[in-house]
Amino acid sequence: MMSLKEFENRNVSEGAYYKVDIPDYPETGWEKAKQVFSRAIKGELFVGLYIVMREMIKFDIHTVQYPKEKLPIGPRYRAVHEMQRLWESGTERCIGCGLCEKICISDCIRMDTKIDEQSRKQVTEYTINLGRCIFCGYCAEVCPELAIVHGGRYENTSEQRAHYIGYEDMLTPFDMAVKGQVAEYPGFGAITPHEDERVKSTPLAY
Amino acid sequence: MVNFKINGRSVTAERGDTIINVARREDIYIPTMCYIEKTSPCASCRLCSVEVEGHDGFVLSCNTPPTEGIHVITDSESLKTERTNIMRMYDVNHPLECGVCDKSGECDLQNKTLEFNVGQQYFSAKDQPRKIENWGLINYDPSLCILCEKCTHVCNEVIGDDALDLLFGGYNSKVIPKNAETLDCTFCGECIAVCPVGALVSSDFQYSANAWELSKIPATCAHCSAGCALEYEVKHAGIDSPGEESIYRVSNNFEYATLCGAGRFGFDFANRASKDEAAFDAALSALQNAEAIRFSSVISNEETMILNGLKAKLGLKLFNEDARHMQTFMNAYANVSGKRHYSATLETLKASDGIIIIGSRIATDNPGVRYATTTAARHNGAKVVYMHPLEDALLQNTVTQFIKYEVGTEEGVLALLAQTLLVGKELTQREQAFFDGLDEGYLNAETNVGDDELALLVKQFMRSKSKTLVVGSDLLAHARAENIAHLVAMIEKYSDFTVLVVPTEVNTLGVSLIADLDIDVASKNVVGYNAKGSFVISALGDGNLNVPALNQQEGTVVSIDKRLLPTNVALSFDGYTLNDLANALGVYAKNTIDYTAALPVESGFQAVEFDSLENFYSAKGADIRGYTLNEVTAKRGGHPEDVDELPEFNGAVIYHVNPVLQFNAFTAKTVQLEKDNNLYGSASFAAAARLGDGDAVAFEYAGETVRRIFKLDDTLKGTVALHPTFDLGLNVTSGYRFEHVNFYERE
Repeated sequence: MMSLKEFENRNVSEGAYYKVDIPDYPETGWEKAKQVFSRAIKGELFVGLYIVMREMIKFDIHTVQYPKEKLPIGPRYRAVHEMQRLWESGTERCIGCGLCEKICISDCIRMDTKIDEQSRKQVTEYTINLGRCIFCGYCAEVCPELAIVHGGRYENTSEQRAHYIGYEDMLTPFDMAVKGQVAEYPGFGAITPHEDERVKSTPLAY
Repeated sequence: MVNFKINGRSVTAERGDTIINVARREDIYIPTMCYIEKTSPCASCRLCSVEVEGHDGFVLSCNTPPTEGIHVITDSESLKTERTNIMRMYDVNHPLECGVCDKSGECDLQNKTLEFNVGQQYFSAKDQPRKIENWGLINYDPSLCILCEKCTHVCNEVIGDDALDLLFGGYNSKVIPKNAETLDCTFCGECIAVCPVGALVSSDFQYSANAWELSKIPATCAHCSAGCALEYEVKHAGIDSPGEESIYRVSNNFEYATLCGAGRFGFDFANRASKDEAAFDAALSALQNAEAIRFSSVISNEETMILNGLKAKLGLKLFNEDARHMQTFMNAYANVSGKRHYSATLETLKASDGIIIIGSRIATDNPGVRYATTTAARHNGAKVVYMHPLEDALLQNTVTQFIKYEVGTEEGVLALLAQTLLVGKELTQREQAFFDGLDEGYLNAETNVGDDELALLVKQFMRSKSKTLVVGSDLLAHARAENIAHLVAMIEKYSDFTVLVVPTEVNTLGVSLIADLDIDVASKNVVGYNAKGSFVISALGDGNLNVPALNQQEGTVVSIDKRLLPTNVALSFDGYTLNDLANALGVYAKNTIDYTAALPVESGFQAVEFDSLENFYSAKGADIRGYTLNEVTAKRGGHPEDVDELPEFNGAVIYHVNPVLQFNAFTAKTVQLEKDNNLYGSASFAAAARLGDGDAVAFEYAGETVRRIFKLDDTLKGTVALHPTFDLGLNVTSGYRFEHVNFYERE
C-alpha cells in the first residue's frame, strides 16, 4: 500500500518517463521509397487479420454482451437510489427525518409523513425526481439510518418520466429482507468499516 | 433602584427585577432551560445559577432580586462545571429520536447539550415504560419531558385554566392533567408553544413537517379583537397536490405574547378559488344596482376604505350593525370623556391590580382579555369583579367577586356602579343632578345588584392602585348604549379607572373608525360582503363570488389595544378581490394596501405605508407591531340622561354566545376546533322552558329557524341558556345578545 509520504509526493514525472524508439522520418526520395516498399512487402495488413482469425477460432471473446451482460460496478458507484429494510424484521429503515429532503441540492426529494397508530412517524409517500437528480450522493451520506443508499442500477431510460422511480421500486423487497438475503449494504452511504471503535459506551448500573 | 455589578459592569435594577432580568436587558448571557419571561420563575432547571462575590455557593438568578452593591459573576469555571453536570443529568436516557422529534432542531435541550458539549451519557438510570398520552388536540410524551414546568406555569398564571399539574415521583415524575383523568381545558395550546422539547406537541401537526421546511408568515390573528401576533407556518400541501401550499401550524412568540386555541389550531379557513368571470360580472352588476352593501367586521381596514369609496361612487348605503353599535357607543363615550379612544390596553390591563369586567362573557368573547386578567390576578394579586347575568366557570380561579345582574338591566347597573365609584368626586351640576335623581331602590330591585355587593366591591379595591373597567359587547349593542357610554366615560373621567372596551369582532374597532355607516334597514337589494344579502360576496366559499379570507390578503386591522396591526398573505388566492371589483367600478387603486396610508387621520390613523409597518416582538420583548393610533380629542358636551325604565326578561331567555375557541363562521370552517352547537341550559332553564336533556328544539333567530339539541349543564345557573351562533354562517345578527325565545317545536 501507498504510504502517506508517497501519496503526498506530487512530482510524478521523476523516473517514470522513458523514450519510445521511433525511427527518424525519411527525408530523401530514396529513403521514402524504401519505407513504402518495406511496409508493403512486409504485409502488416495481414498481421491484424491473422490476430482476428486466431482469436475467433479460440472463442476467447471479451465483448460484454450488453444489455444481456453487465459489468460489475464498484460498491461506491452512485446510481439510482435504493431504500433499505432492516434485517430480519424487514421494517423499512427510513424514519422520515427529512434530512435527505433538506440536503438535496437539486431539490428533487420530497416526502410526506404523518403519525401512525403506534404514535410513530410514518412515511406515507416518498419521491425522488430522477429527472432532476444529479446523483451527488448527499442524501445517502446524510441518512442517519442507512435507509437511502445509492444502488447499482444505472439505466435511466423510459418512455415516461413517471417511470423513473417509485418508492416501491426503490424499496428492497420485503421477502428478501426477512429471509436475510440482503447483505449489509457496503456501497455508497454505508458507514465506514471501523465505526464500531468510535462508539462510546453508555454506563449501565443495572 | 438598586445599583450592582454583573461581570464587572455597573448595572441598575428596577423595582421587581431579578438578576436575570437585568442581565438580559444588558445583553449578558445566562443560560436557562425553564425560564420564561411572562410567568413567575419556575426555578426548576438551576442552569441560571450565578456566583456572588463574597458569598459561598450559587444563587439562582431567575428568582433572586439583586441587593445594593453586590458583584454577580455569570461565568466561571465552577459555574461551567455545575451547568455541564446539569446538562449531563438532563440527557440521561433522553430518547435519541431527534431525527423524528417534532422540534426538529428548534430544541432548547439540543442547543444546551451542544453548548455544554455533552457528547455521551455519563450517568445511568434504569428507564421505565412511559405511556404516550393523547389529550385531544395535544399529545404528551413523558419520556421526552424534562420537567421544566413551563407548561404548568403558563397554564396557571397566564391562561387561567390551571389544567396541568406535575406528578412528583423522582424519576417517575411527569406532567398530568390536574384533578382529572384526561386533559379538560380550553385547549389554548400555549403549553405546546412553551415546551422546550418535543414532549407536548400538537396532535394534528405531529410528524407532518420539519421546522426547517416551513416558511413563517408573520400575521395577525383573524378571529377576535385581541389581535394576537402569530406566524402561519406554510409548506407545500404534499406530494399528491403539486403546486399547492397549506398552513401546517401556527406558532407565536410565547416568550412575550400569548395565543388562544382558535388562533393556534383554527388556521385552515382559507378560501380556495379561481377567477370566475361570470361571477365577477354578476357581482359588478349587483353592486351597480344595489341599494346597500352589508358587511361583517371580519374585514381589513383597507377593504373598509374600498367600501367607503364604493359608497361615495355608487351612492350606496353601508350596513354593519356591529361596527355601528361600536361607533355609537364610542361617540357617546367621546362626548363625555373628550377623547376619541378609550384609555386602557391589554398591557395596562395586565399591569392592573383592580379589574371590573361587565357585559361580556369574556373568556370566550375575547381570550386575550381573559389572559391579561389572569396574569394581573396571579402576578399583581389583582381583585377581579365580574358583573354579568351568568357566572362563568372558566373565570372561577380568577374572579374574586361575582355580581349577578338581571338580563337587560345594564343601564341601571352602570348607573349604580358609577354612583358607587364616583362618591365624593367633583362632578358638574348636571351630573350631580343625575345621581341625585337616581331611584336607588328601584334600580337595586330591578337589577338585583345590592348595596352590600357594591360596598364589598369598593372594599376590595381599597388598596388597588391601577384599576381597569372592561366593558363588553352586551353594553355596546344595548338599546341604551349611548347612556351607558356616558356613564362609562364618567367613570373614566372622574375615577382612577381606565376603560377597556372589547370590540366584538376582529376589526370592529377599525371599521367603526373608518366606515361611513348607515342604519341597517331590511332592504331587499343588498350586496353582502361576508354578510347576508341578495348577492353574497364571501370569503367562506359559499357566496356568489369568492374573495380571499383574512389569512390570504395583505391588510391591517385595529385591535383592542387601538393598535393598527398588519397581516400578510399566508396562502395565495387566485380569484378576484374586492379591489378588482372596485377598480372595475372606477374606485381605483393598484393594490388593496395602497389604502393603508390613506386611512383617516382624524380617527387617529397615521399616514404610513403598509410596507413600512413592522410585525414582530424584539428579542427583549418590545412590541414592534404596526403602530398605536394617535389620541384624538373630541368635543365634550354629553351628559348622562335619566335611566330609562329597565326591561324585564322573564321566562326562557337565550344568550347568543359562542363556546370556547369558536367566534364566527370562519372558525366554524376549521378542522381542529371543536364544533359543539348544542343549546346549554341549567335545570331551572329546563324547567322554565319545559325542556329535557337531549330534546330537539327549534326557534327563530335572525329571521330563520334554528334547530338545536338542548343539553343540561350543571355548571350553569338561572334561566338563561347559552346558544352558539358560530355555525350559522352569515345568518347572524349583531344585536343585544340576550333574547326571549319561543320554542315552537318539541320532539
